[in-house]
Amino acid sequence: MRIGLITPEEREKAFKTPKKPDVIEKQKLNVRYHVEDYEVGSRPRRFLEAFAVILKHTNYRFALEHFIRMSAKCARCAVQCPVYLATGDKCDIPCHRSELLLSVYRRHFTMGGMFRGRLFGNGYLTDDEIEEMAESFWNCTACRRCTLECPAGIDHALLTHLGRFILSEIGIAPRALVVSTREQLEGATGNTSALPVPALQDTLEFLEEDIFDDKGVEVKFPLDVERSEYLFTPAVSDFLMEAETLMGIAAVFKATGGSWTISTNYYDAINYGLFYNDRILERVIRKLYAEAERLKTDSILIGECGHASRTARYFVPIHCGGSKAKPVYNIMEYTHKMLEEGKLKLDPNVVTETVTYHDPCNIARQGWLVDKPREIVRAFCKNYVEMKPNKTENLCCGGGGGSVSIDEIRPYRTTVGGRAKADQIRETGAKYVIAPCANCKKQLRELLEDQEVDCEVIGLHDLIYKAIIFNDKDINKPKPDKED
Amino acid sequence: MQQLLDFVSGPLFRLTFLIMILGLLRTFVLDLWGAWDAYRRAGDKKLAWGDAFSKTIQWLFPVRRVFTRRPLYSLFSILFHVGLILVPIFYLGHVQLWEESTGLSWWTLPHFWADLLTLTTIIFGLLLFLGRLISSEARYLSRSQDYLWPILLVVPFVSGYFCANLNISPASYQVFMLIHILSGELIFVLIPFTKIAHCVLMPLSQFIISLAWKFPARIDDKIGATMDKKGVGV
Ligand code: SF4
Ligand code: SF4
Repeated sequence: MRIGLITPEEREKAFKTPKKPDVIEKQKLNVRYHVEDYEVGSRPRRFLEAFAVILKHTNYRFALEHFIRMSAKCARCAVQCPVYLATGDKCDIPCHRSELLLSVYRRHFTMGGMFRGRLFGNGYLTDDEIEEMAESFWNCTACRRCTLECPAGIDHALLTHLGRFILSEIGIAPRALVVSTREQLEGATGNTSALPVPALQDTLEFLEEDIFDDKGVEVKFPLDVERSEYLFTPAVSDFLMEAETLMGIAAVFKATGGSWTISTNYYDAINYGLFYNDRILERVIRKLYAEAERLKTDSILIGECGHASRTARYFVPIHCGGSKAKPVYNIMEYTHKMLEEGKLKLDPNVVTETVTYHDPCNIARQGWLVDKPREIVRAFCKNYVEMKPNKTENLCCGGGGGSVSIDEIRPYRTTVGGRAKADQIRETGAKYVIAPCANCKKQLRELLEDQEVDCEVIGLHDLIYKAIIFNDKDINKPKPDKED
Repeated sequence: MQQLLDFVSGPLFRLTFLIMILGLLRTFVLDLWGAWDAYRRAGDKKLAWGDAFSKTIQWLFPVRRVFTRRPLYSLFSILFHVGLILVPIFYLGHVQLWEESTGLSWWTLPHFWADLLTLTTIIFGLLLFLGRLISSEARYLSRSQDYLWPILLVVPFVSGYFCANLNISPASYQVFMLIHILSGELIFVLIPFTKIAHCVLMPLSQFIISLAWKFPARIDDKIGATMDKKGVGV
């Protein structure tokens, strides 16, 4: 993997702060994202207090202990981090990023550190250090590629995650994420896009009509059907931006006769808590799970979205009853199962263009969904090419870790974070890049536009929608002639 | 001189060896205890044991890495470690000493291999040190212990090699032997308190990463209450 360094002009664009000087002055924070006003005074003390409380009630301490004992400073991780390879800034080396937090931990929360502090003095945490963390932890896309390469087993994404958690407890978190989450948890619409129920219903009716027009098949989006097998929850933004993905999913359910429902009470799987705060993460998970309980569905099915799938899959058991909790699946698992059981038929002659598949970090890195999506694609796409590296070693789209939702850092995401990805996609020469994740889709579209790569970003179910073959009995009217 | 040698190879050896063993035991037990505590508190106890296990094996025997990532560095590191681990434990002279004092003995390295591995450890240890000096990334990250360790580790190998192979005068033999033993003992004492503790912690790493993502259930209220933020909105 080779990534060219950013040019000085690109650097200037990528790292330009969008904030006015007086805001920076007032918030004492020169970072590239907007932050809501917060209590600025005695920041270091409050940081340490928040750190202490978090250590007390969570499981982070044992990992921090292990990491400080193990850290070898061997710099192996440097060659795996797309961010460092693009900026060439030493402070972007994963081990350095982690050390920002580990050194605070070592100084203030270990016996040795406190002892040394007494003897030689090791300085109290400073405002500058806090600002450096606030910048650095949002440079990282939490893609966890570096973790593959660290012999000491240091999980930098976990440290980024913890660092952001502490910062957010003292009020430093990207405004874009906080505002959306506030609407999701406390607002009138109850979702991150502030999409009201009537608009949702309109959208779905509209999609139903569209499908009928396209395919001559009556497909319903079932709403609030109790005791369905699956409570289907996509990233709410899909209702606004990914019509074809949803149509594809509805079509798959129609063709396979699956029992599913969408709730009009809560229809957003986005969980920005994963990106900045564990308490938010927990609240969103519990809200989602409460909905599955209310509608008495057997399980929860998340749409094409990496972080939403990962949070639901791994945190529903944590917060909602361990192994007894209702299972969580990703939509691709359902589709794959139907394909395997022969219930889903796809026409291999529809999609003839070259397609490639982008692995979203959140579902691929730990090896959860890597082969199944490929088997689905191979079942009907003749011209399938792989990017390299791929699967568990994939490269992040550059918008990971919630950064894609922060619009003001687009220049950073598309010149630094996604630089390697753009090259990778360009090399395949593919017409379509499949990205089964709401975040990746948004980031890749912006990336390919800014980097001028000629390739279309598409969801897996968008492609399936093109190629799906319905049962004869479902077709009410002859297919309209294909437009050429 | 002989008295000094007797002292360092007798009581001092026993003391430093004990410090190492107890220190490593403490580190290992603390690490394991932390992991156990985290496991106890985890809201979901289903771990990917198999995956963590296979990754652990891959890291303990990182042969495949030579062909995939950072080939030169991986190769140097492996060749360095092989001798570093095998020679002190299986060198004939060492085993004989153990047998004399404790009656225990075990398999020993043939002389040729002991020599060869000693040389590879010296050479690749120095190469790793050079690598650290040359790589700007490594220089940026390194603490002083990171430079000192490869040098310190090589010292007993060099002095040991001299004692075992060179036709040197008894006086200088004693000097080298003294260096050999003292440097070894210094290493013993430092191991548990520095990054070299990875010699016992390494096998836990992959399990710890996967366990670290298993958070305790329902922390929101607890953290909120302790911070006086309970019920406060987003
Ligand atoms: S998680 Fe990804 S972006 Fe963050 S330090 Fe590691 S490799 Fe770099
Ligand atoms: S690979 Fe691990 S031990 Fe080596 S420098 Fe990176 S974080 Fe540190």
